[in-house]
Amino acid sequence: MQFFDEKDNWERDEVRVGRAWRIPELRIKSNDDLHKLWFVLLKERNMLMTMEHEYKQKFEPFPSPERLDKVNESMVNLEEVVRERNRAYFELETGETGERPGRLTPNALGMNYWYKASEHVVPPHANGTWWRQKHLWYDRKECAQFLTYYREKLFLAKRKQRIRDRNHVLGLLRRFPDMDMEALKEQYPTVDIERVKRWKKATGHFVPK
Amino acid sequence: MSLVKFRSRYFSLDDILSSQERVPCLFNTNVSFLGVGELTKKYANLPESYIKRMMDQAEWKTPRGFPQYLRREIVRKNKYFGLNRPWTGAFQMENARGRYHPKVFVEPIKDWTIFKGDRVEILVGDDKGKQGIVSRLIQERNWVFVEGLNCKLKVMGKTKTFPGTVFRAEQPLLVTTEVALVDPSDLQSTKIEWRYNEEGEKVRVSARTGRIIPVPQQADETYDYKSKATYRESTKDTNEKELTKITFSPKIKTFEMDIMDSMGIKEERIPCKTYWY
Repeated sequence: MQFFDEKDNWERDEVRVGRAWRIPELRIKSNDDLHKLWFVLLKERNMLMTMEHEYKQKFEPFPSPERLDKVNESMVNLEEVVRERNRAYFELETGETGERPGRLTPNALGMNYWYKASEHVVPPHANGTWWRQKHLWYDRKECAQFLTYYREKLFLAKRKQRIRDRNHVLGLLRRFPDMDMEALKEQYPTVDIERVKRWKKATGHFVPK
Repeated sequence: MSLVKFRSRYFSLDDILSSQERVPCLFNTNVSFLGVGELTKKYANLPESYIKRMMDQAEWKTPRGFPQYLRREIVRKNKYFGLNRPWTGAFQMENARGRYHPKVFVEPIKDWTIFKGDRVEILVGDDKGKQGIVSRLIQERNWVFVEGLNCKLKVMGKTKTFPGTVFRAEQPLLVTTEVALVDPSDLQSTKIEWRYNEEGEKVRVSARTGRIIPVPQQADETYDYKSKATYRESTKDTNEKELTKITFSPKIKTFEMDIMDSMGIKEERIPCKTYWY
């Protein structure tokens, strides 16, 4: 019955547990320990997901759903440590990381994305299916207009954000004239505060100093 | 490269790539999440992903994992931070669909100076000049609550026949202008500076007397424990002895090779030549 939580926890509003495993704590553990811990975590996650499903079925709130996040975080950290060890081995022995290779390539729309390579028995020049399935090429003429529009959209969003930030800074200057200017600059790096300060909108309803 | 960061009613055009692999790191950056203060996160003692998940309740979302659906969602971009903690249901109600709040201007602060358990003097209102202990902080709004001071009378449960119960509710005070830290040496309010002591630790120093004002123990309090020493382990926690035990010894082996050796699995087949592309 390890698919379910302990019976005492079924009726509880919250189940208190500790935090997730952190990377430095996992680094001092042997491969065997990590292997065991992985399956402990996997079983725990399975149990939590089962319980979540069960509570959903019964229209009850699932107590302490952050447990799932904690287990997940532990598993991500554990995998990172394992990969770190493997990378060290491969770099020492072969001079490569041994990780799954990938590259930035334009797709059918001419936009770059991270292409994760996969293992094939046939070399690429002989693999027609792969060439046809993965559109790792694009028509420059056809995509040019689209890319222009797309970049314009990105630019407009950026500009809108910049103007919004500037107006917010004006509002802040109006309300808090004795503000910490360094903190303001740190929070809104795109705004030229020295310039904006002289504007009428930045002055509040009080006698300026 | 992508519009995903903005998380508004726009959808990213690289959704068209949905049948192909993506760069995972692009999706981990989230502008809306930056709103939560560090002290709030520390108090919560919850994984960041959980707080994010609880805050970003999508109004509408396409089903994931199907090639025919583009990755679109409608999420409230600017969250309203009020009296409620970001991971609670009350916060979700406050930020529910159709709920609107006036725009809030929060003064940016470089170093937060007042913590839970500090003795402060109130500089405004009816309780001006009185001193009290900080009982609660809301960093997102630069608010502090002082125990039993700066209260408002509120009526609860009033009906036609029943006049209701009257109670005092502490009202928030701005940490920048409305309260001042009290120097414990002479019990008078001062401005403070952050300086480094001989051990290289950052300490608060009273600008008037030059005395160190230690950060109170209560500042370490979280939802789960009052202090780290008083934390009660649950049955599923790894105890400290097990946690700090060093079992790692470096070997010239990958993880898989080591596990295979310890389990007595022998692999002598030679893999055929493969191509990665």
